[in-house]
Amino acid sequence: MKLYITEQGAASANTVALDDMILTKNAPTSAGSKMLDGYQGLFDADIIGRLEAAGYTIGGKVNVGEFSIDLLGETSYYGACTNDQGNLTAAVAEVAKSDGVKAVISLDVNGMPRRAAAMAGTVFVKPTYGTVSRYGTIPVACSGETVGVMAKSTADCRQVLGHLVGHDDKDGTSLSDAECAQVKTAAAPIRKVAVLQSMVDAADDATKQRINSVCDTLKAKGVEITAVDDAIYKAASPAWNALMCAELCNNVSRYDGIKFGYRTPNYTNIDELYVNSRTEAFGLLLKTAILYGSDVLSTENYMRVYDKALRIRRVICDAFAALFAQYDAVLLPACSKTAYKSDAVGTYTVMDEALFTAPASISGLPVVVAGGVQLMGKAFSEDSLLTAAAMYE
Amino acid sequence: MNTDTLQKLEKLNQLCLTEAEKSTVTAFFDQQADLFSCLEQINTENIARMVHVMPILTVVREDREIKLFTRDALQESAPETHDGYWQVPRLIE
Repeated sequence: MKLYITEQGAASANTVALDDMILTKNAPTSAGSKMLDGYQGLFDADIIGRLEAAGYTIGGKVNVGEFSIDLLGETSYYGACTNDQGNLTAAVAEVAKSDGVKAVISLDVNGMPRRAAAMAGTVFVKPTYGTVSRYGTIPVACSGETVGVMAKSTADCRQVLGHLVGHDDKDGTSLSDAECAQVKTAAAPIRKVAVLQSMVDAADDATKQRINSVCDTLKAKGVEITAVDDAIYKAASPAWNALMCAELCNNVSRYDGIKFGYRTPNYTNIDELYVNSRTEAFGLLLKTAILYGSDVLSTENYMRVYDKALRIRRVICDAFAALFAQYDAVLLPACSKTAYKSDAVGTYTVMDEALFTAPASISGLPVVVAGGVQLMGKAFSEDSLLTAAAMYE
Repeated sequence: MNTDTLQKLEKLNQLCLTEAEKSTVTAFFDQQADLFSCLEQINTENIARMVHVMPILTVVREDREIKLFTRDALQESAPETHDGYWQVPRLIE
Protein backbone atom coordinates (compact mmCIF):
# COMPACT_ATOMS: atom_id res chain seq x y z
CA MET A 1 0.00 0.00 0.00
CA LYS A 2 1.45 3.35 -0.98
CA LEU A 3 -0.72 6.23 0.21
CA TYR A 4 1.66 9.06 -0.46
CA ILE A 5 3.72 9.49 -3.59
CA THR A 6 5.70 12.15 -1.78
CA GLU A 7 5.27 13.42 1.74
CA GLN A 8 6.72 16.67 2.93
CA GLY A 9 6.93 18.55 6.20
CA ALA A 10 5.43 17.78 9.57
CA ALA A 11 1.67 17.33 9.79
CA SER A 12 -0.37 20.02 11.48
CA ALA A 13 -3.99 21.06 11.86
CA ASN A 14 -3.60 23.12 8.71
CA THR A 15 -1.99 20.46 6.54
CA VAL A 16 -3.72 19.69 3.27
CA ALA A 17 -2.70 16.89 0.90
CA LEU A 18 -3.16 16.93 -2.86
CA ASP A 19 -3.99 14.04 -5.09
CA ASP A 20 -1.43 13.14 -7.72
CA MET A 21 -3.42 14.80 -10.52
CA ILE A 22 -2.54 18.27 -9.22
CA LEU A 23 0.70 19.85 -10.41
CA THR A 24 3.26 20.96 -7.87
CA LYS A 25 6.52 22.72 -8.56
CA ASN A 26 8.45 21.13 -5.72
CA ALA A 27 7.17 17.57 -5.83
CA PRO A 28 6.61 15.04 -8.63
CA THR A 29 3.18 14.67 -10.24
CA SER A 30 2.68 11.27 -11.82
CA ALA A 31 -1.11 10.93 -12.33
CA GLY A 32 -0.63 7.38 -11.04
CA SER A 33 0.96 6.45 -14.36
CA LYS A 34 4.28 4.98 -15.37
CA MET A 35 4.15 7.54 -18.18
CA LEU A 36 4.66 10.39 -15.71
CA ASP A 37 6.69 8.58 -13.06
CA GLY A 38 8.94 11.21 -11.48
CA TYR A 39 7.59 14.03 -13.64
CA GLN A 40 8.25 17.41 -12.06
CA GLY A 41 5.75 20.15 -12.91
CA LEU A 42 7.01 23.58 -13.91
CA PHE A 43 4.43 25.46 -11.90
CA ASP A 44 1.96 25.04 -9.06
CA ALA A 45 -1.73 24.58 -9.69
CA ASP A 46 -3.75 27.72 -9.01
CA ILE A 47 -5.44 26.15 -5.99
CA ILE A 48 -2.08 25.74 -4.23
CA GLY A 49 -1.63 29.50 -4.11
CA ARG A 50 -5.13 29.86 -2.70
CA LEU A 51 -4.50 27.24 -0.02
CA GLU A 52 -1.17 28.72 1.00
CA ALA A 53 -2.63 32.22 1.11
CA ALA A 54 -5.24 30.87 3.52
CA GLY A 55 -2.51 29.51 5.79
CA TYR A 56 -2.54 25.86 4.77
CA THR A 57 0.58 23.78 4.31
CA ILE A 58 0.84 21.22 1.52
CA GLY A 59 1.63 17.92 3.24
CA GLY A 60 2.27 15.75 0.19
CA LYS A 61 0.96 14.09 -2.91
CA VAL A 62 -1.48 11.21 -2.64
CA ASN A 63 -1.58 8.13 -4.86
CA VAL A 64 -4.36 7.87 -7.48
CA GLY A 65 -5.27 5.35 -10.16
CA GLU A 66 -3.88 5.96 -13.64
CA PHE A 67 -5.22 9.37 -14.70
CA SER A 68 -7.86 8.95 -12.00
CA ILE A 69 -10.43 7.27 -14.21
CA ASP A 70 -10.65 3.99 -12.30
CA LEU A 71 -12.80 2.68 -9.46
CA LEU A 72 -10.66 3.31 -6.37
CA GLY A 73 -7.08 3.82 -7.51
CA GLU A 74 -6.51 0.15 -8.34
CA THR A 75 -4.76 0.97 -11.63
CA SER A 76 -2.05 3.08 -10.03
CA TYR A 77 1.50 2.39 -11.19
CA TYR A 78 2.43 2.53 -7.51
CA GLY A 79 -0.05 -0.14 -6.50
CA ALA A 80 -3.60 -0.37 -5.21
CA CYS A 81 -4.54 0.25 -1.58
CA THR A 82 -6.44 -2.22 0.56
CA ASN A 83 -7.76 -1.74 4.07
CA ASP A 84 -7.48 -4.09 7.05
CA GLN A 85 -10.52 -6.05 5.86
CA GLY A 86 -8.88 -6.74 2.50
CA ASN A 87 -11.23 -4.36 0.70
CA LEU A 88 -10.06 -2.01 -1.98
CA THR A 89 -9.78 1.54 -0.74
CA ALA A 90 -8.51 4.76 -2.26
CA ALA A 91 -5.40 6.47 -0.93
CA VAL A 92 -7.18 9.83 -0.96
CA ALA A 93 -9.78 8.51 1.50
CA GLU A 94 -7.24 6.82 3.78
CA VAL A 95 -5.16 10.00 3.96
CA ALA A 96 -8.28 12.13 4.54
CA LYS A 97 -9.23 9.83 7.44
CA SER A 98 -5.79 10.09 9.04
CA ASP A 99 -4.94 12.54 11.80
CA GLY A 100 -2.16 14.09 9.75
CA VAL A 101 -4.28 16.19 7.40
CA LYS A 102 -7.30 18.43 7.49
CA ALA A 103 -8.34 17.61 3.91
CA VAL A 104 -7.28 16.07 0.63
CA ILE A 105 -7.86 18.00 -2.58
CA SER A 106 -8.84 15.56 -5.29
CA LEU A 107 -9.71 15.83 -8.96
CA ASP A 108 -13.04 14.13 -9.64
CA VAL A 109 -12.75 12.84 -13.21
CA ASN A 110 -14.90 9.73 -13.17
CA GLY A 111 -16.28 9.66 -9.63
CA MET A 112 -13.30 8.02 -7.87
CA PRO A 113 -13.23 10.40 -4.86
CA ARG A 114 -16.99 10.07 -4.43
CA ARG A 115 -16.83 6.27 -4.34
CA ALA A 116 -13.77 6.48 -2.08
CA ALA A 117 -15.57 8.73 0.40
CA ALA A 118 -18.67 6.54 0.37
CA MET A 119 -16.66 3.39 1.08
CA ALA A 120 -14.29 4.88 3.66
CA GLY A 121 -16.86 6.96 5.53
CA THR A 122 -15.30 10.32 4.75
CA VAL A 123 -16.99 13.41 3.31
CA PHE A 124 -16.34 14.65 -0.22
CA VAL A 125 -17.71 17.74 -1.89
CA LYS A 126 -17.63 18.01 -5.66
CA PRO A 127 -18.48 21.64 -6.28
CA THR A 128 -20.33 23.16 -9.21
CA TYR A 129 -18.27 22.90 -12.41
CA GLY A 130 -16.28 26.09 -12.97
CA THR A 131 -16.19 27.33 -9.38
CA VAL A 132 -12.73 25.92 -8.56
CA SER A 133 -9.85 26.53 -10.96
CA ARG A 134 -8.53 23.53 -12.89
CA TYR A 135 -5.39 25.42 -13.93
CA GLY A 136 -2.51 23.11 -13.11
CA THR A 137 -4.46 19.87 -12.95
CA ILE A 138 -3.62 17.05 -15.35
CA PRO A 139 -6.34 17.30 -18.02
CA VAL A 140 -8.35 14.17 -18.71
CA ALA A 141 -12.04 14.91 -19.32
CA CYS A 142 -12.09 18.68 -19.19
CA SER A 143 -15.81 19.23 -19.72
CA GLY A 144 -16.74 17.42 -16.52
CA GLU A 145 -13.79 17.02 -14.19
CA THR A 146 -13.89 19.13 -11.05
CA VAL A 147 -11.51 19.78 -8.17
CA GLY A 148 -13.16 18.75 -4.90
CA VAL A 149 -12.39 18.46 -1.20
CA MET A 150 -12.34 15.33 0.95
CA ALA A 151 -12.24 15.55 4.74
CA LYS A 152 -13.44 13.91 7.91
CA SER A 153 -16.43 16.21 8.29
CA THR A 154 -18.73 18.49 6.35
CA ALA A 155 -17.40 21.38 8.46
CA ASP A 156 -13.83 20.79 7.26
CA CYS A 157 -14.99 20.38 3.66
CA ARG A 158 -16.92 23.65 3.87
CA GLN A 159 -13.96 25.50 5.35
CA VAL A 160 -11.39 24.31 2.80
CA LEU A 161 -13.74 24.63 -0.17
CA GLY A 162 -14.39 28.22 0.87
CA HIS A 163 -10.74 29.02 0.20
CA LEU A 164 -10.63 27.25 -3.17
CA VAL A 165 -13.61 28.76 -4.97
CA GLY A 166 -13.12 31.87 -7.04
CA HIS A 167 -12.57 33.06 -10.58
CA ASP A 168 -9.25 32.28 -12.24
CA ASP A 169 -8.27 34.13 -15.42
CA LYS A 170 -5.99 31.27 -16.37
CA ASP A 171 -8.86 28.77 -16.59
CA GLY A 172 -11.20 29.32 -19.53
CA THR A 173 -13.96 27.38 -17.78
CA SER A 174 -13.74 29.41 -14.57
CA LEU A 175 -16.94 31.21 -13.60
CA SER A 176 -17.06 34.82 -12.41
CA ASP A 177 -16.29 35.76 -8.82
CA ALA A 178 -19.95 36.71 -8.33
CA GLU A 179 -21.06 33.25 -9.43
CA CYS A 180 -18.36 31.51 -7.40
CA ALA A 181 -19.35 33.49 -4.31
CA GLN A 182 -22.75 31.77 -4.37
CA VAL A 183 -21.03 28.54 -3.34
CA LYS A 184 -20.13 30.16 0.00
CA THR A 185 -23.42 31.98 0.46
CA ALA A 186 -25.76 30.54 3.06
CA ALA A 187 -28.81 29.33 1.17
CA ALA A 188 -32.27 28.12 2.08
CA PRO A 189 -32.25 24.80 3.93
CA ILE A 190 -33.14 21.65 2.07
CA ARG A 191 -36.78 20.71 2.70
CA LYS A 192 -37.63 18.37 -0.15
CA VAL A 193 -35.40 15.54 -1.34
CA ALA A 194 -36.03 13.25 -4.31
CA VAL A 195 -34.61 9.72 -4.23
CA LEU A 196 -33.55 8.31 -7.61
CA GLN A 197 -35.29 5.01 -7.09
CA SER A 198 -34.02 2.95 -10.00
CA MET A 199 -30.45 3.80 -9.00
CA VAL A 200 -31.20 2.63 -5.48
CA ASP A 201 -32.71 -0.56 -6.92
CA ALA A 202 -29.48 -1.17 -8.86
CA ALA A 203 -27.44 -1.20 -5.63
CA ASP A 204 -26.90 -3.99 -3.12
CA ASP A 205 -28.82 -4.41 0.14
CA ALA A 206 -26.19 -2.72 2.30
CA THR A 207 -26.27 0.35 0.06
CA LYS A 208 -30.08 0.39 0.09
CA GLN A 209 -29.87 0.27 3.86
CA ARG A 210 -27.62 3.33 3.86
CA ILE A 211 -30.07 5.23 1.66
CA ASN A 212 -32.98 4.22 3.93
CA SER A 213 -31.05 5.24 7.01
CA VAL A 214 -30.26 8.68 5.53
CA CYS A 215 -33.91 9.08 4.49
CA ASP A 216 -35.04 8.23 8.04
CA THR A 217 -32.64 10.79 9.53
CA LEU A 218 -33.74 13.48 7.10
CA LYS A 219 -37.43 12.70 7.69
CA ALA A 220 -36.87 12.99 11.42
CA LYS A 221 -35.48 16.48 10.79
CA GLY A 222 -38.60 17.45 8.88
CA VAL A 223 -37.32 16.88 5.35
CA GLU A 224 -39.87 15.53 2.86
CA ILE A 225 -38.59 12.47 0.96
CA THR A 226 -40.09 11.34 -2.34
CA ALA A 227 -39.01 8.50 -4.64
CA VAL A 228 -38.97 9.60 -8.28
CA ASP A 229 -38.84 7.85 -11.61
CA ASP A 230 -35.36 8.42 -12.93
CA ALA A 231 -35.03 6.41 -16.13
CA ILE A 232 -33.49 9.34 -18.01
CA TYR A 233 -30.60 9.73 -15.56
CA LYS A 234 -29.44 6.21 -16.34
CA ALA A 235 -28.56 7.52 -19.80
CA ALA A 236 -25.84 9.64 -18.20
CA SER A 237 -23.48 6.69 -17.80
CA PRO A 238 -23.03 5.56 -21.43
CA ALA A 239 -23.10 9.19 -22.57
CA TRP A 240 -20.45 10.22 -20.03
CA ASN A 241 -18.29 7.19 -20.82
CA ALA A 242 -18.30 8.27 -24.48
CA LEU A 243 -17.56 11.94 -23.74
CA MET A 244 -14.93 11.20 -21.11
CA CYS A 245 -13.08 8.75 -23.34
CA ALA A 246 -13.25 11.12 -26.33
CA GLU A 247 -11.74 13.95 -24.30
CA LEU A 248 -9.21 11.64 -22.64
CA CYS A 249 -8.08 10.30 -26.01
CA ASN A 250 -7.13 13.82 -27.10
CA ASN A 251 -5.65 14.86 -23.77
CA VAL A 252 -3.29 11.91 -23.47
CA SER A 253 -2.10 12.13 -27.08
CA ARG A 254 0.61 14.50 -25.77
CA TYR A 255 2.37 11.61 -24.00
CA ASP A 256 4.64 10.36 -26.75
CA GLY A 257 7.99 9.81 -25.05
CA ILE A 258 9.60 12.86 -26.68
CA LYS A 259 9.26 16.01 -24.59
CA PHE A 260 8.59 14.54 -21.18
CA GLY A 261 7.43 11.36 -19.54
CA TYR A 262 8.43 7.77 -20.09
CA ARG A 263 10.57 6.82 -23.09
CA THR A 264 11.02 3.16 -23.94
CA PRO A 265 14.55 1.84 -24.31
CA ASN A 266 13.19 -0.55 -26.97
CA TYR A 267 13.15 1.26 -30.29
CA THR A 268 15.01 1.44 -33.55
CA ASN A 269 13.00 4.25 -35.20
CA ILE A 270 10.62 7.06 -34.29
CA ASP A 271 7.45 5.00 -34.79
CA GLU A 272 8.68 2.31 -32.44
CA LEU A 273 9.60 4.99 -29.93
CA TYR A 274 6.03 6.37 -29.94
CA VAL A 275 4.26 3.00 -29.91
CA ASN A 276 6.49 1.23 -27.42
CA SER A 277 6.63 4.20 -25.03
CA ARG A 278 2.84 4.46 -24.88
CA THR A 279 2.24 0.72 -24.91
CA GLU A 280 4.70 0.03 -22.09
CA ALA A 281 3.66 3.01 -19.97
CA PHE A 282 -0.15 2.88 -20.14
CA GLY A 283 -2.32 0.34 -18.35
CA LEU A 284 -5.15 -1.60 -19.98
CA LEU A 285 -8.00 0.58 -18.67
CA LEU A 286 -6.34 3.71 -20.03
CA LYS A 287 -5.53 2.05 -23.35
CA THR A 288 -9.15 0.95 -23.65
CA ALA A 289 -10.39 4.45 -22.87
CA ILE A 290 -8.04 5.92 -25.49
CA LEU A 291 -9.18 3.44 -28.14
CA TYR A 292 -12.86 3.84 -27.28
CA GLY A 293 -12.53 7.65 -27.31
CA SER A 294 -10.83 7.50 -30.67
CA ASP A 295 -13.59 5.24 -32.02
CA VAL A 296 -16.27 7.58 -30.67
CA LEU A 297 -14.67 10.47 -32.57
CA SER A 298 -14.20 8.52 -35.81
CA THR A 299 -16.07 9.51 -38.95
CA GLU A 300 -18.25 6.40 -38.61
CA ASN A 301 -19.31 7.12 -35.04
CA TYR A 302 -19.01 10.86 -34.53
CA MET A 303 -22.67 11.68 -35.17
CA ARG A 304 -24.09 8.41 -33.87
CA VAL A 305 -22.18 8.40 -30.59
CA TYR A 306 -20.28 11.62 -29.78
CA ASP A 307 -22.88 14.04 -31.10
CA LYS A 308 -25.66 11.97 -29.53
CA ALA A 309 -23.87 12.01 -26.16
CA LEU A 310 -23.61 15.82 -26.28
CA ARG A 311 -27.36 16.06 -26.93
CA ILE A 312 -28.08 13.55 -24.17
CA ARG A 313 -26.06 15.79 -21.85
CA ARG A 314 -28.53 18.60 -22.51
CA VAL A 315 -31.51 16.27 -22.03
CA ILE A 316 -30.10 15.24 -18.64
CA CYS A 317 -29.33 18.82 -17.59
CA ASP A 318 -32.87 19.84 -18.56
CA ALA A 319 -34.28 16.89 -16.62
CA PHE A 320 -32.31 17.94 -13.53
CA ALA A 321 -33.48 21.53 -13.96
CA ALA A 322 -37.09 20.29 -13.97
CA LEU A 323 -36.42 18.08 -10.97
CA PHE A 324 -34.81 20.91 -9.00
CA ALA A 325 -37.82 23.10 -9.71
CA GLN A 326 -39.73 20.68 -7.47
CA TYR A 327 -37.08 19.39 -5.10
CA ASP A 328 -34.13 20.94 -3.26
CA ALA A 329 -31.81 17.95 -3.60
CA VAL A 330 -31.51 14.46 -5.01
CA LEU A 331 -30.34 11.42 -3.07
CA LEU A 332 -28.65 8.47 -4.79
CA PRO A 333 -25.99 5.84 -4.06
CA ALA A 334 -22.34 6.59 -4.83
CA CYS A 335 -21.61 2.99 -5.73
CA SER A 336 -23.51 -0.30 -6.08
CA LYS A 337 -21.66 -1.81 -3.11
CA THR A 338 -20.39 -0.64 0.25
CA ALA A 339 -17.09 -2.49 -0.23
CA TYR A 340 -15.11 -4.13 -3.02
CA LYS A 341 -12.71 -7.00 -2.44
CA SER A 342 -9.63 -6.11 -4.46
CA ASP A 343 -9.74 -9.39 -6.39
CA ALA A 344 -13.39 -8.77 -7.35
CA VAL A 345 -12.63 -5.65 -9.36
CA GLY A 346 -12.39 -6.17 -13.10
CA THR A 347 -10.74 -3.87 -15.60
CA TYR A 348 -14.06 -2.27 -16.50
CA THR A 349 -15.93 -2.43 -13.19
CA VAL A 350 -15.59 1.34 -13.02
CA MET A 351 -17.58 1.75 -16.22
CA ASP A 352 -20.52 -0.08 -14.60
CA GLU A 353 -20.21 1.94 -11.40
CA ALA A 354 -20.32 5.16 -13.43
CA LEU A 355 -24.09 4.63 -13.43
CA PHE A 356 -24.12 6.38 -10.04
CA THR A 357 -21.48 9.06 -10.58
CA ALA A 358 -22.02 10.01 -14.23
CA PRO A 359 -25.16 12.14 -13.64
CA ALA A 360 -23.15 14.72 -11.66
CA SER A 361 -20.08 14.41 -13.90
CA ILE A 362 -21.98 15.05 -17.11
CA SER A 363 -24.13 17.85 -15.69
CA GLY A 364 -21.47 19.64 -13.62
CA LEU A 365 -23.83 19.83 -10.67
CA PRO A 366 -22.54 19.81 -7.09
CA VAL A 367 -22.57 16.70 -4.93
CA VAL A 368 -21.78 16.03 -1.30
CA VAL A 369 -20.90 12.48 -0.33
CA ALA A 370 -21.47 11.77 3.36
CA GLY A 371 -22.86 8.80 5.22
CA GLY A 372 -21.93 6.70 2.18
CA VAL A 373 -24.48 8.31 -0.18
CA GLN A 374 -24.55 11.15 -2.70
CA LEU A 375 -26.67 14.25 -2.17
CA MET A 376 -26.82 16.25 -5.35
CA GLY A 377 -28.16 19.76 -5.79
CA LYS A 378 -28.66 22.50 -8.32
CA ALA A 379 -25.71 24.69 -9.31
CA PHE A 380 -24.17 26.68 -6.41
CA SER A 381 -26.17 24.81 -3.74
CA GLU A 382 -23.05 23.49 -1.95
CA ASP A 383 -23.86 25.33 1.28
CA SER A 384 -27.35 23.80 1.52
CA LEU A 385 -26.03 20.35 0.59
CA LEU A 386 -23.31 20.47 3.24
CA THR A 387 -25.80 21.63 5.87
CA ALA A 388 -28.18 18.79 5.00
CA ALA A 389 -25.35 16.24 4.87
CA ALA A 390 -24.23 17.34 8.34
CA MET A 391 -27.50 15.84 9.64
CA TYR A 392 -26.40 12.31 8.75
CA GLU A 393 -22.61 12.36 8.26
CA MET B 1 -15.85 -4.26 -33.22
CA ASN B 2 -13.87 -6.12 -35.85
CA THR B 3 -10.16 -6.84 -35.99
CA ASP B 4 -9.47 -4.32 -38.77
CA THR B 5 -11.12 -1.45 -36.91
CA LEU B 6 -9.24 -2.26 -33.73
CA GLN B 7 -5.99 -2.42 -35.63
CA LYS B 8 -6.74 0.95 -37.21
CA LEU B 9 -7.45 2.45 -33.79
CA GLU B 10 -4.25 1.00 -32.36
CA LYS B 11 -2.21 2.50 -35.18
CA LEU B 12 -3.95 5.86 -34.90
CA ASN B 13 -3.27 6.02 -31.16
CA GLN B 14 0.29 4.65 -31.27
CA LEU B 15 -0.59 1.60 -29.19
CA CYS B 16 0.01 -2.09 -29.62
CA LEU B 17 -2.22 -4.55 -27.74
CA THR B 18 -1.48 -8.16 -26.94
CA GLU B 19 -3.90 -10.80 -28.24
CA ALA B 20 -5.37 -11.15 -24.73
CA GLU B 21 -5.83 -7.37 -24.45
CA LYS B 22 -7.48 -7.28 -27.87
CA SER B 23 -10.13 -9.72 -26.81
CA THR B 24 -10.77 -7.81 -23.55
CA VAL B 25 -11.01 -4.50 -25.38
CA THR B 26 -13.30 -5.95 -28.04
CA ALA B 27 -15.66 -7.20 -25.35
CA PHE B 28 -15.67 -3.73 -23.79
CA PHE B 29 -16.50 -2.10 -27.11
CA ASP B 30 -19.37 -4.51 -27.64
CA GLN B 31 -20.70 -3.83 -24.15
CA GLN B 32 -20.56 -0.06 -24.70
CA ALA B 33 -22.29 -0.45 -28.06
CA ASP B 34 -25.13 -2.32 -26.35
CA LEU B 35 -25.41 0.32 -23.63
CA PHE B 36 -25.29 3.13 -26.12
CA SER B 37 -27.95 1.54 -28.33
CA CYS B 38 -30.42 2.13 -25.46
CA LEU B 39 -29.85 5.85 -25.95
CA GLU B 40 -31.25 5.63 -29.48
CA GLN B 41 -34.71 5.59 -27.89
CA ILE B 42 -34.20 9.09 -26.53
CA ASN B 43 -35.32 11.60 -29.14
CA THR B 44 -32.64 14.26 -29.50
CA GLU B 45 -33.61 15.53 -32.93
CA ASN B 46 -34.40 19.08 -31.82
CA ILE B 47 -32.02 19.14 -28.89
CA ALA B 48 -28.91 21.30 -29.20
CA ARG B 49 -25.54 19.81 -28.39
CA MET B 50 -24.14 20.73 -25.00
CA VAL B 51 -20.35 20.81 -25.13
CA HIS B 52 -19.96 22.71 -21.83
CA VAL B 53 -22.39 22.77 -18.96
CA MET B 54 -21.50 26.35 -18.07
CA PRO B 55 -21.06 29.28 -20.44
CA ILE B 56 -17.33 29.63 -21.02
CA LEU B 57 -15.21 32.52 -22.16
CA THR B 58 -12.18 32.34 -24.36
CA VAL B 59 -9.23 33.46 -22.29
CA VAL B 60 -7.67 36.48 -23.99
CA ARG B 61 -4.32 37.81 -22.90
CA GLU B 62 -2.51 40.99 -23.77
CA ASP B 63 -0.49 40.60 -26.97
CA ARG B 64 2.98 40.89 -25.49
CA GLU B 65 5.94 38.60 -25.07
CA ILE B 66 6.29 36.95 -21.69
CA LYS B 67 8.89 34.42 -20.66
CA LEU B 68 7.19 31.79 -18.56
CA PHE B 69 9.80 29.05 -18.54
CA THR B 70 13.41 28.79 -19.60
CA ARG B 71 14.50 26.18 -22.13
CA ASP B 72 16.47 24.42 -19.38
CA ALA B 73 13.40 24.23 -17.14
CA LEU B 74 11.29 22.85 -19.99
CA GLN B 75 13.90 20.22 -20.75
CA GLU B 76 14.38 19.09 -17.17
CA SER B 77 11.74 16.39 -17.59
CA ALA B 78 12.79 15.42 -21.11
CA PRO B 79 13.84 11.78 -21.59
CA GLU B 80 16.81 12.75 -23.80
CA THR B 81 18.30 16.09 -24.80
CA HIS B 82 21.42 17.18 -26.63
CA ASP B 83 22.85 20.73 -26.65
CA GLY B 84 19.49 22.25 -25.73
CA TYR B 85 17.46 20.18 -28.20
CA TRP B 86 15.07 17.32 -27.60
CA GLN B 87 16.77 14.24 -28.95
CA VAL B 88 14.78 11.84 -31.13
CA PRO B 89 15.77 8.92 -33.35
CA ARG B 90 16.81 9.64 -36.92
CA LEU B 91 13.67 10.43 -38.97
CA ILE B 92 15.18 10.20 -42.47
CA GLU B 93 17.18 7.11 -43.36
